[in-house]
Amino acid sequence: MSSEKYYATIDGTDYVIEITSDTNATVNGKPRLIDYQQIKQGSSCSLLVDGKYYEPTVYQENGGWEVLIQECRFNVQVEDERERRLRLASGESAITQGRFVLTSPMPGMVIDIPVKEGDEVSRGDVLVVLESMKMQNELIAPRDGVVSQIQAQVNDNVERKEALLTLE
Amino acid sequence: MFKKVLIANRGEIAVRVIRSCREMGIPAVAVFSDADRHSLHVRYADEAYRLGPPKASESYLLMDKIIKIAKDCGADAIHPGYGFLAERADFSQACLDNGITFIGPKPASITAMGNKQMARNTVRGAGVPVIPGTEGKDDLTDQELLDLAPEIGFPLLVKPSAGGGGKGMREVQNIEEMPSLLAASRREAESSFGDGNIYLEKLIQGARHIEIQILADQHGNVIHLGERECSLQRRHQKILEEAPSPFIGEDQEMRDRMGTIAVQAARSVDYINAGTIEFLVDKEKNFYFLEMNTRLQVEHPVTEAVTGIDIVKEQIRIAAGKELSFQQEDMQLQGWAMECRVNAEDPFRGFIPSTGTISHSLLPAGPGVRVDTGIYSGFEISPYYDALVSKVIVHGKTREKTIARMKRVLKEYRLIGIRTNIPLHLALLDNPDFLAGEFDTQFVQDDILLESEVDPDNGLPEIAALTAVLATYKANQLSAVDIDRGKSKLSNWKLAGRREQTDS
Repeated sequence: MSSEKYYATIDGTDYVIEITSDTNATVNGKPRLIDYQQIKQGSSCSLLVDGKYYEPTVYQENGGWEVLIQECRFNVQVEDERERRLRLASGESAITQGRFVLTSPMPGMVIDIPVKEGDEVSRGDVLVVLESMKMQNELIAPRDGVVSQIQAQVNDNVERKEALLTLE
Repeated sequence: MFKKVLIANRGEIAVRVIRSCREMGIPAVAVFSDADRHSLHVRYADEAYRLGPPKASESYLLMDKIIKIAKDCGADAIHPGYGFLAERADFSQACLDNGITFIGPKPASITAMGNKQMARNTVRGAGVPVIPGTEGKDDLTDQELLDLAPEIGFPLLVKPSAGGGGKGMREVQNIEEMPSLLAASRREAESSFGDGNIYLEKLIQGARHIEIQILADQHGNVIHLGERECSLQRRHQKILEEAPSPFIGEDQEMRDRMGTIAVQAARSVDYINAGTIEFLVDKEKNFYFLEMNTRLQVEHPVTEAVTGIDIVKEQIRIAAGKELSFQQEDMQLQGWAMECRVNAEDPFRGFIPSTGTISHSLLPAGPGVRVDTGIYSGFEISPYYDALVSKVIVHGKTREKTIARMKRVLKEYRLIGIRTNIPLHLALLDNPDFLAGEFDTQFVQDDILLESEVDPDNGLPEIAALTAVLATYKANQLSAVDIDRGKSKLSNWKLAGRREQTDS
């Protein structure tokens, strides 16, 4: 079995991880014994690293992964070698550029859209206010950008994963 | 005693009431919407009947249908839980008209406490202190409110006469900004409650929210079960409650005084059954009537833990005409209790509600632990109802020991498949001001952003990176398996597409 090389990025720090077999990997060149099992088909897993037990939870989120371990939360971007080559060749950072489509994280009703097409927004700005589970929820911009399209309208009933708004 | 009790509610509180009915030997009847067909309250009840589609207005709020089900199945009493029909005087009346006992107060008491302004006037007449404001004056115009404001003093609060939950409430710092805030409050009150009436109240800064649990039987006995500290709120929703209050602590004189006043407030509306008088308490230990909740409270278990009284059983006994089996003098608070409300929401992302299927639920256990919940592994959190998933209640000898226990318990709890606010609770339980008992209702900021603090030396980032890579690797392997599966009737594209859908 051929080894697979990945690049993981957390807050700007790169980790080069090579999976050499189901039980062996290297992290930044250091060999690690690994044993990765999913718990009950859930997003939680049981991970042994050099015999030490961890119970991380992993979710796919905004094109990357969100990992929770012992109340700590990490956003991890993972690329394989081909993806990394393509990105470096195009000179773009995967996280801070390109199109971002804001989708509804849950079914609900659009209460407010405090931005309009063409607006420049910063990371953390409120893009859409959605009411669900008797609460109003602010959906915020994950990064800086320009609102290129607004797909949703105020008072729309939206389903989970429905596109609401696009940032360029 | 009742032949059968119908519980007109869902989720954890329906399960809670069923448990007391069962222990009293009374058959319990559940009702459910289509979204709750597989809920625990349906499965635990002796009988269960479908109400309708998921929307509350087409299921749990259908008074006539609920009463018809009760009559058809021979239930002679209805417990409303909290929310839904619990504080609807017309429902209490409808039960009465159909010869069914409503396990709660009389319609007139609900009405008297339902309108906040009317309630303030009533209890003020009974010698209960209220927050200075425009009490006693109804239907004031904006101009009248503007004229009265300087007398009350700034900062002040504009509040709708109807409703609750902080909707329509506005904080006013000065007279200049007041007109626009009055208009906004009226607009929100009108759209939320269909009643644009508003009133003014002095803003008590640094205030705590402390409430007194009341039990009143049909024989004129009214007693209180001590206080609950409920200052930790986010957007006017309580998140962590404890009993006793660290602010009152050893001050038995203050506890007795608040209790006596609360009993007076309950008596002023001829209150029967369990109820709660909410007070705002300022730094000088002055306390003011806020409102009365004419129902069982979400946080009642902390009082049960420190008093040893099953409040739901008492509610049922009272409704059946029994006399309270204990007196005020019997009330001794034992130890310390705390409740964390576990909500399906993401504390790292602005507390967005989290819906989805709970793929794995592992409840904490061990000494001094109680978990009230309606969910289990495989349960789907639907967007139709509130975000409360479970209540974790612990009891210990002292506040310190109770906090240590709560931390232990929350770290044992596994709820996989949805995000929960457990990280927020753990952050609170480590906060030095919380540990010192020094906090007010503003302590948890509305816009609180939880940042996970990572010790760079603990090696966790590397483990996180490895986890994400292994998850990617596994996903790639699964796709590869699909491509190998040449003989499958389904195309590989379909299989891969399905996998992507089920993974998310």
